[in-house]
This record gives sequence, structure tokens and C-alpha cells, in this order.
Amino acid sequence: MGKVKLKYFSRIRETIGKTSELVEIKSTNIQDLIEELQAMGEQYSVLKGRDFAVYSAVDQSIVTDVKTSIEGATEIAFFPPMTGG
Amino acid sequence: MLNKIIVAVQKGDFDLDYELETLKLKTEKAGAVVIFVGKVRDLEDDNLRYLEIESFEDLAKNQIKEICDDAANKWDLEFILVKHRFGRLKINDNIVLVITSSKHRKNAYEASEFIMEYLKNNVPFWKKEVADKTQKWVENS
Repeated sequence: MGKVKLKYFSRIRETIGKTSELVEIKSTNIQDLIEELQAMGEQYSVLKGRDFAVYSAVDQSIVTDVKTSIEGATEIAFFPPMTGG
Repeated sequence: MLNKIIVAVQKGDFDLDYELETLKLKTEKAGAVVIFVGKVRDLEDDNLRYLEIESFEDLAKNQIKEICDDAANKWDLEFILVKHRFGRLKINDNIVLVITSSKHRKNAYEASEFIMEYLKNNVPFWKKEVADKTQKWVENS
């Protein structure tokens, strides 16, 4: 893998303290990426989804399976349950 | 036959009269127009100062377009419009506008509800209520 743009929204943005960042990653799926990010700092543990469900979108497509491949992705977003309407 | 789908994710307000007149020009064979407006409401046990709506704009727009396409496949519609706002909103400010139009009312009613149900939990918007005593992210039930 290489550099990807990570985007954070809502409660996750507040906890991590950033709206986005460019990160060099080794992981090839969402689950591994979350583990990898956790090693960067405790604030990323919010992505484990202990307090609320964490959704992700790979290149603007929402994924439901954490084993989904992220190889070749340029943008990965993390966000809590959506509350539109 | 569906004439048009209009989708917008925007900061500014929408103009209901303008949207209705535009729709009428494009749907002369439709006899029904269902309009749903979601607006900011005050809280039961606190005084809301404002509602902050955060959005993942591009993805939200794509998700709304997809559900409008689904609705157009399920019901015989002439026109669908969905406009959803983000940013800082006050009590009574408009949040979302859904307009569906069809020859007869049943299709427009059902499609409107279908779109709104989807918007609640499947489109990337997040609401934060900032009130006198507390501030919290809204959780849909």
C-alpha cells in the first residue's frame, strides 16, 4: 500500500482531533487498518467501535465488511451511525 | 414516466414556492405533489441554541441519488426532488425538502416516505444539538 487520505466525521473527528490526514499505510483491509492506526495513538481506538458502530467508506463507497480490501484506495472515511433527515 | 430527479446537499435554505413552480412546468401530466419538509425543533427538557449538521457532501449526494433512482424504479413517478442542508441551523429552520410527484397520490406518498426513511439512517449526515445545558450528537432510534 502507500499513502491514503483518511477522513473523519462527527464524534470520530472530535475524538481523533482532525478532519483528515494523509497517512502511509501497510494494511490491505479495514480491520487491519484500524489496528495499524491504533498503534499511532490511543485516540484512534475510537475506530474499534466499542461505544458506537463505526462505518467506513472506501473511495466514496460505504462498506459493511471490515475485511473489505482497501488495496489501491486513495480515500478512506470513518464515521458513526448516520442521522440525516 | 419520470421527467426529472433533482438532488442537492447545500448550506443555504431552499425556496419552496420556487421549487413547486419549477415542478409544475415539468409535470403537466401529474395530478399529485407530495411535499415533506423536515425542520429544526426545540428540545423537550432543554433550550436548543442551534443544531449543527455535518455532512460528507459528495457521498451524501451520491447516496441520495441512488435512493431516488430506487424510488423511480419502484413507483410510477413524474418528478423527485431532495434537498438536504448542512451547517448551523436554528429552531424552525428547514433541514430537508422531499418533493415527489405522480399521476395519482398513492405513488407520491409512498415514494416520499421511502426516501425519508432511507435518509434517516443511510446518508452521511450527523446532527449535533447544542443547548443551554448540554450538547450531544443525535442518535436515531
